[in-house]
Amino acid sequence: MDDDAGDGAASGGTKRKVTAASSSAAAKGKAAGKGKAASKASALATAKESSLLKQKSPAEFFAENKNIAGFDNPGKSLYTTMRELVENALDSAESISELPDIEIIIEEITKSKFNTMIGLVDRQRIDEELYDDFESAKAREKRLAKEARFQETQAKNAALGKKVKEAPAARGKGRGEAAFFRVTCKDNGRGMPHDDIPNMLGRVLSGTKYGLRQTRGKFGLGAKMALIWSKMSTGLPIEIKSSMKGQNFISFCRLDIDIHKNVPHVHLHEKRENKDRWHGAELQVIIEGNWTTHRSKILHYMRQMAVITPYAQFLFRFLSDSPDKNLTIQFARRTDVMPPIPLQTKHHPSAVDLLLIKRLISETTKQNLLQFLQHEFVNISKSHAERLIGEMGPDFSAKTTVKSLTSQQLVRIHQLFRQAKFDDPSGNCLSPAGEYNLRLGIIKELHPDLVATHASSPQVFEGHPFIVEAGISIGGKDVKHGLNIFRYANRIPLLFEQGADVITRTALKRINWSSYKINQQQDKIGVFVSIVSTKIPFKGTGKEYIGDDITEIASAVQSALKQCCLQLKSKIVKKLQARERQDRKRNLNRYIPDVARAIMETLGEIADESPPKRPRYDKEDEELLEKVNSEEVTEMTFRDCLTQHVEQVDYEMALEYAMQSGVSEEPREALYLNSLEGSYKFIDFQSPVFVFRFIP
Amino acid sequence: MSEKKRRGGAGAGAASGSASKKPRVSTAASYAESLRSKLRPDASILATLRSLASACSKSKPAGSSSSSSSASKALAAEDDPAASYIVVADQDSASVTSRINRLVLAAARSILSGRGFSFAVPSRAASNQVYLPDLDRIVLVRRESARPFANVATARKATITARVLSLVHAVLRRGIHVTKRDLFYTDVKLFGDQAQSDAVLDDVSCMLGCTRSSLHVVASEKGVVVGRLTFADDGDRIDCTRMGVGGKAIPPNIDRVSGIESDALFILLVEKDAAFMRLAEDRFYNRFPCIILTAKGQPDVATRLFLRRLKVELKLPVLALVDSDPYGLKILSVYMCGSKNMSYDSANLTTPDIKWLGVRPSDLDKYRVPEQCRLPMTDHDIKVGKELLEEDFVKQNEGWVKELETMLRTRQKAEIQALSSFGFQYLTEVYLPLKLQQQDWI
Repeated sequence: MDDDAGDGAASGGTKRKVTAASSSAAAKGKAAGKGKAASKASALATAKESSLLKQKSPAEFFAENKNIAGFDNPGKSLYTTMRELVENALDSAESISELPDIEIIIEEITKSKFNTMIGLVDRQRIDEELYDDFESAKAREKRLAKEARFQETQAKNAALGKKVKEAPAARGKGRGEAAFFRVTCKDNGRGMPHDDIPNMLGRVLSGTKYGLRQTRGKFGLGAKMALIWSKMSTGLPIEIKSSMKGQNFISFCRLDIDIHKNVPHVHLHEKRENKDRWHGAELQVIIEGNWTTHRSKILHYMRQMAVITPYAQFLFRFLSDSPDKNLTIQFARRTDVMPPIPLQTKHHPSAVDLLLIKRLISETTKQNLLQFLQHEFVNISKSHAERLIGEMGPDFSAKTTVKSLTSQQLVRIHQLFRQAKFDDPSGNCLSPAGEYNLRLGIIKELHPDLVATHASSPQVFEGHPFIVEAGISIGGKDVKHGLNIFRYANRIPLLFEQGADVITRTALKRINWSSYKINQQQDKIGVFVSIVSTKIPFKGTGKEYIGDDITEIASAVQSALKQCCLQLKSKIVKKLQARERQDRKRNLNRYIPDVARAIMETLGEIADESPPKRPRYDKEDEELLEKVNSEEVTEMTFRDCLTQHVEQVDYEMALEYAMQSGVSEEPREALYLNSLEGSYKFIDFQSPVFVFRFIP
Repeated sequence: MSEKKRRGGAGAGAASGSASKKPRVSTAASYAESLRSKLRPDASILATLRSLASACSKSKPAGSSSSSSSASKALAAEDDPAASYIVVADQDSASVTSRINRLVLAAARSILSGRGFSFAVPSRAASNQVYLPDLDRIVLVRRESARPFANVATARKATITARVLSLVHAVLRRGIHVTKRDLFYTDVKLFGDQAQSDAVLDDVSCMLGCTRSSLHVVASEKGVVVGRLTFADDGDRIDCTRMGVGGKAIPPNIDRVSGIESDALFILLVEKDAAFMRLAEDRFYNRFPCIILTAKGQPDVATRLFLRRLKVELKLPVLALVDSDPYGLKILSVYMCGSKNMSYDSANLTTPDIKWLGVRPSDLDKYRVPEQCRLPMTDHDIKVGKELLEEDFVKQNEGWVKELETMLRTRQKAEIQALSSFGFQYLTEVYLPLKLQQQDWI
């Protein structure tokens, strides 16, 4: 029952794995069946009750448990909708090896606008007391008094020149007004075949293709959950525009979902003209949301996404009626190197369970056991398969038809898989972001002073390969002091439930920052860890973090971070030396007056003593004392001499430093210039080594 | 609580206290009281003390030549070690001044010739301090390090050194004494905090080869003394039997002290102020003629100097009453072998041959100190205790090793005040007399 229901890679849209959700739906069905059987035996009354038991469609299940998919509240729903659309768009563009170019628009829709959209006439309130936010006379009095008091203190503070506090945001109690948003996401991806659009978006857990591979998604629902949410909160249908490469028309589709039947309900499905040969998809959905509470999360998400996918271009806009809230952020492309498309791989024998074996058997085209073992799993060669079959016992032979295996025999196979030793799966099927891209992404978005990256070799956790890539940056803009942790799982940012995450804990507890000359409190440290795997061991209902209990992952993260720190350490030490050199002169000069004064005071006292009383000194000393007496040597003389000396020492040290450090410079960063579109007239400036092209 | 115990111990009205605890407490207390009966008359105890004192003063001339005679003699005797170890001596202000003058003139000439300046300062790093079993004290190995001005690492220290030299010079010229705190406040901006000026002051002592008191810079008074002692402090006659309960503050400047006279039979060194007060209030020194001394914790230079002076001049045995914990022993070690910080002056500061009277770990069981007055040792205590076992000065004395091992085995410590559980005056009335009677010191 562990159906991996996805919509297929061909859809360019959603290809997710649904495990928890589908199996719990199945559990429900099972429970229903049991209930029936029990009721048959019992009295008629209960039998009647049992006839009321309903089947639940997967869409209904998700509608009721929307928090599983990240739709806990309007604010989070807006965030999740946006990210699902963005991730779909990225997948779609990457699937045809096109550099992603993604445009996201979130448009606030006021209540009156929303009402006109759905054809509802705005009504004035007649019975004010009926409403939750009605303010009784007493409450108003209280509020006014409070505001007056506040104004008074404000005025007082202003008079005293103190900083004026912001007026507390006046807000009504209760849920208040619902806010609605139109979320539009446009990409340049594969697009969807015209006829498949309704099913691809209007049916939850639909799909035929099954596969094990590294995928971006976490819930396997993608845009469909957004559709359910729009159905629940606004009732408005979703609009899709799509065109595939080389298609001379644009498919336009307006549809919503029949939650009870889990089927799409198409309002309009037509072909339109495609003048500029556009390909890709544009989804538009109107949902309830909350921009104020989740604004920063959405922006963080975009920024973190831009770090891990520097080869994509994002345009994010927020539109509303008040222009000062409007926002346009462009995340520019920095490279055109894209990670390869993750390959579909076969299961590793140590990672399968009984259900999975059964399903593999029912799906396989191979006839006998030997071929089945050899071709449906990784890391089982022919000879290895033969040895395994020999180990299984006399009931098994290479020629055994797989479809005829009894469930006892399957258990035996499963047990053997658990106990036997297999080579670790290779990481070839994984598609990490790439150290180069991670580095570029960090530089592009944070502009740090220093950055170091490291990619670990593939490692294995319960039969699933994983790769950890890490980056550490120091300094940069819009970075707060201390640790800033950026977590990625299969190249998507994780923003919630940071505390318990393996990456957070490792960075906080298991890295001794000071030993790498990094100040954990003062320095602006960016910690970037990206984990890719065919199966990310998420924890928590929202799948928002990776547990800290998996030693393989924890130690891989730790060693990757340590590697980065080591790289940084040498750079930091160099920097410190350079700074010390700069400060040397200043530090030395600071003490000159103190020394001059101390020496002069004592000299003065020595010289003051009358010659007969004081002991005789060397000739030179006597001469010096003479000079002190005649004021030929004063405090200023000492100051000048010391300043000169410091000057000279500093010069010598600078020379020495230059000789030691040589001319070794930082490795140069490759400069990325966006390719120009269209043709221009150039003026070329030729030189033997380069050409400058000016676009007049 | 101890009040209750005392009443319970008196046996009269043992109605108070919980019934379950009463039998045990009262047995411990009655045992403690029974020890009182073991006491012989004071006269006989005094007789033993007298013999001890005379033995001490007789044996002294023989033993002192090796280590604990006057500074000059020690210097003469240690011809060989003086070359490799730094030993400072008291010097008069004229010779200190001329040494400073020479240093300053050299520095000034060096500056004027455009070479900056540098001081050669003996290193007082921990690795440089060694315990010499022959001398039975910690000494400073002679190893000088340059402190040039034209180096970021040492510029600040060199400046402070120059400043301290000039300040000391001024103090000596005026023939006055100042405290370390005074010195610090003359240039707070440069010194930053007192620890820095204090450290440099010790450096300067080493550089000039004189004791810190020769620089006329003293620490504020910390130690107090009471008992059968009279001396002159800056010419004023002081009778330490008439100093009340608080005692006479030990003068920070030992030069002021002269004319030491005493009819005491021993010197009692007390770790803590509380025990000192008990002894003083009970006029313990009148029952058994003695001089009672405390530095209220870790001893300062003045107290150590004073104790050494008493020991050398009066030739009395020194008995120590410290807590039964690693720190008690540590304090004892500072009196006996010196501290690492002042190792360069250890010859003048140490008083070898101090007897550990109590409270020793073995006493806890011997006197049946109740469980509730003993404390479990912390991990840190145990660490310190184990480190002490490795120290040479402990290893030298078998009895001490045994006691320390007992402490580490039982993992219990107790303060002198634990004895108050048998009554506040148990310390003066029973414990100490009995200890003296049994000559129970090691």
